[in-house]
Amino acid sequence: MDTPLLTIEHLSKIFPGQVALDDVDLVVRAGTTHALVGQNGSGKSTLIKILAGYHQPTGEPVATLLGAEFPLGDGRAAEAAGIRFVHQDLGLVDMLSSVENIAMGSGFLTRRGRINWKAETARARDDLAAIGFDDFEVTMPVGMLAPSQRTAVALARALRGWEDGASLLVLDEPTASLPDDDVQRLFDAVRRLKARGVAILYVSHHLDEVFAIADEVTILRDGQRVTTQPIGDVDKSGLIELMIGHKLVTKRSGAFDPAGAPLLRAVNLAGGNVRNISVTVLAGEVVGVAGITGSGREHLVPLITGQIPSIDGDLEINGRDIGPYAPRQMIDSGGAFVTADRARLGNLPMMSVTANTTICDVKRNAKRRRLLHPRERVEAKEWIERLGTKTSAAEAPISTLSGGNQQKVLFARGLRLVPQVIVLDEPTRGIDVGAKEEIHSIIDNAAASGSAVLVASTDTDELVRVSHRVIVLRQGRIAAELVGAEVTSTNIERAQLQSDHNSQDGLR
Amino acid sequence: MTNAELDVDPLALARPQGSWTSRLRFDRYSALYLWGAFVVFFGLTQSAYLSTASISLTFGEKTIVCVLALAFLVPLVTDTFDLSIGANLNLSLVILFKLRSEGVSMWIASFLALAACATAGFISGYVVVKLKVNSFIATLAMSQVVTAMSLLISNNRQITDKMPKSFNNIGTKRPLFNLPMYFYFMLLLAAILWYVFEHTPLGRYMFATGGGREAARLSGVNVDRLTWGSLVVSAMIAGFGGFVFAWKNNIFQNSAGPGFLFPAVAAVFFGASQLKGRANVWGALIAVFALAFGIKGLQLSFGAGTFWIEPLFNGLSLLIAVSLASRQGIIKIRKRKAVTA
Repeated sequence: MDTPLLTIEHLSKIFPGQVALDDVDLVVRAGTTHALVGQNGSGKSTLIKILAGYHQPTGEPVATLLGAEFPLGDGRAAEAAGIRFVHQDLGLVDMLSSVENIAMGSGFLTRRGRINWKAETARARDDLAAIGFDDFEVTMPVGMLAPSQRTAVALARALRGWEDGASLLVLDEPTASLPDDDVQRLFDAVRRLKARGVAILYVSHHLDEVFAIADEVTILRDGQRVTTQPIGDVDKSGLIELMIGHKLVTKRSGAFDPAGAPLLRAVNLAGGNVRNISVTVLAGEVVGVAGITGSGREHLVPLITGQIPSIDGDLEINGRDIGPYAPRQMIDSGGAFVTADRARLGNLPMMSVTANTTICDVKRNAKRRRLLHPRERVEAKEWIERLGTKTSAAEAPISTLSGGNQQKVLFARGLRLVPQVIVLDEPTRGIDVGAKEEIHSIIDNAAASGSAVLVASTDTDELVRVSHRVIVLRQGRIAAELVGAEVTSTNIERAQLQSDHNSQDGLR
Repeated sequence: MTNAELDVDPLALARPQGSWTSRLRFDRYSALYLWGAFVVFFGLTQSAYLSTASISLTFGEKTIVCVLALAFLVPLVTDTFDLSIGANLNLSLVILFKLRSEGVSMWIASFLALAACATAGFISGYVVVKLKVNSFIATLAMSQVVTAMSLLISNNRQITDKMPKSFNNIGTKRPLFNLPMYFYFMLLLAAILWYVFEHTPLGRYMFATGGGREAARLSGVNVDRLTWGSLVVSAMIAGFGGFVFAWKNNIFQNSAGPGFLFPAVAAVFFGASQLKGRANVWGALIAVFALAFGIKGLQLSFGAGTFWIEPLFNGLSLLIAVSLASRQGIIKIRKRKAVTA
């Protein structure tokens, strides 16, 4: 199928003081998945927002959909033309159930004026099953669901009633919070849709996904289209170079002192999906934590940092025993962490970059209980400079920054404590390749200066890049340990899959 | 209610470059403009409006509302509501008068009045922090319990004229600009709170608690203690409001406290749309007086029998001011997102 479904020519968007899109052309063919990649600020979000009608284009771009003229920047026209969106933040109401969230767009089934809950629940269950998610209770508030399940709910909502006149599905970072195995389920759903002859515009930072799912890829850089190619004509490193213009380090180099002091020691930790894990991290060492979702990988860092209560186990930071569920003791003992749930557990959203940076130790910039604002600002600016954080001002609210830059502020929050132990959970989730590489160097530097670092991540390339040693979890326990040269993507993935396989055997 | 952005002028990012109307910043200073407009308009149309007596009466009358607004503001910064402030004012007032009529010394009566309020705040804090009841509900319920206590103590009777001369003097003395002493007490209290909020680590921790409770907790902020403490402080400030009422009116009556709740809460929310665009001390006080001067002028213009003007005016002004500010906020956020997108 080579018929163009959507064509856009000469699309520009100029914001005060910034050209977001500069004469961009885009052709999306029917029955294909078209990936849109680029770093933050490359203009891909702007392009999506123009399609959705949130922004209006500058000038007079020409666009057609299925051969007919299509007005850009008109949300109603997009809806009427059968374009559907799943945005990165999903737009779900946490307090409502999946049934209610899915029905919000389409309206409720009623019988004699009252909602027919039985039919509505069945319909929601069917819709979710159709995209491969039939394994959770649809009447539970979506706030209590796992990230992958939330994504499924948002997708089901976008797809409801889409059969008639369906044309284009836009997925904006749909996997930003999804672990690998759930990404596969999402892909299956996408492939099924594609088979129906619709097109999918797929925006993602995960290049592996782009290679797995896309037929064509368009690369944006600084608001301009670099190129559009069939996915077979380009490889991953080539793609990254097109996006950012230089090569990336992919494997950790440099060793650490094996006689270093054990700075982080967890013994028989249990809680959440973690059954029993003991791990020790030495000074200067980076230990990666891998595992599929449900293996305990997602709960190890929350356990250590007190985000979820622990059932059992001892935790020692820098030789000091710290009780479970005690953020203050952890900080006082020389620990720092960055959470996986940046929006809810990391950011203080309305507060400034400065206040976000200094919150763990505000008193440092106080004298006789008086906060010295200038001194605080100077310190914040130093960190902005040191980590290359892009922000309009140290006093700008953190919510105005991009994800990668917010993450740098949270790193600054931890690093300024000069921590001896750093615990990281998905440190580069939802962050573009450039910022990702910068955060990896921050981790390198922290280890080089003698900190013990624990990194839990679903991104195996990331673990290979930063870790000296990787522990692979399965069913809440350590299933495999990879050291030095053994740390490769293949080994990690194999260990994860084996684990998965074994666990199923174990259940029978 | 989110109300935490520290020492940021969030709009410094997007300074209005455009028209002269946007330069005047109606969104951030609407209360000040309103106040000025009232003074000019009613000053020209009503001869009695700008008399010294009239002005000092208005300032004096609204001091109680200001004190309660400050009481409401303290927990609000940590994103906690305290709807029992009116009841707490009453509790302090009744204890003061009751103990005086039993012949207890002024100092001991004052101490016990404040201690009773602190206890009420402590219980609210326990319910909110330990039993994890939504603060809105917890303090609404507490307000009824406290009201019951007041009724029990007063036996539902008015008590008058039990205060020693030295106490009443605070109500009658006018040390500066013909304004009563207690007005300056209130200003002092406001200045202390402002200092704590804006210039101490404690204030920062409070705003962080209000801005993102879980994030603040994980950053080592003792959010439970701050929430609890802010409810105790709020109750004590409300108790001080009872003193102001006594100084001004020299009477206890059961209806004293609750009537001040709405104007105080309204002033805080109206004030939160002012200046920095988050809950703040001076915004709340400016809001109280801007509304008071408007009401005063209207009452003078329409003559006697216009008591309905006050709640109508309070309600409408709150609606207009807050919607003006949030409209501006929405436009600003859109613009900012567009720039960072």
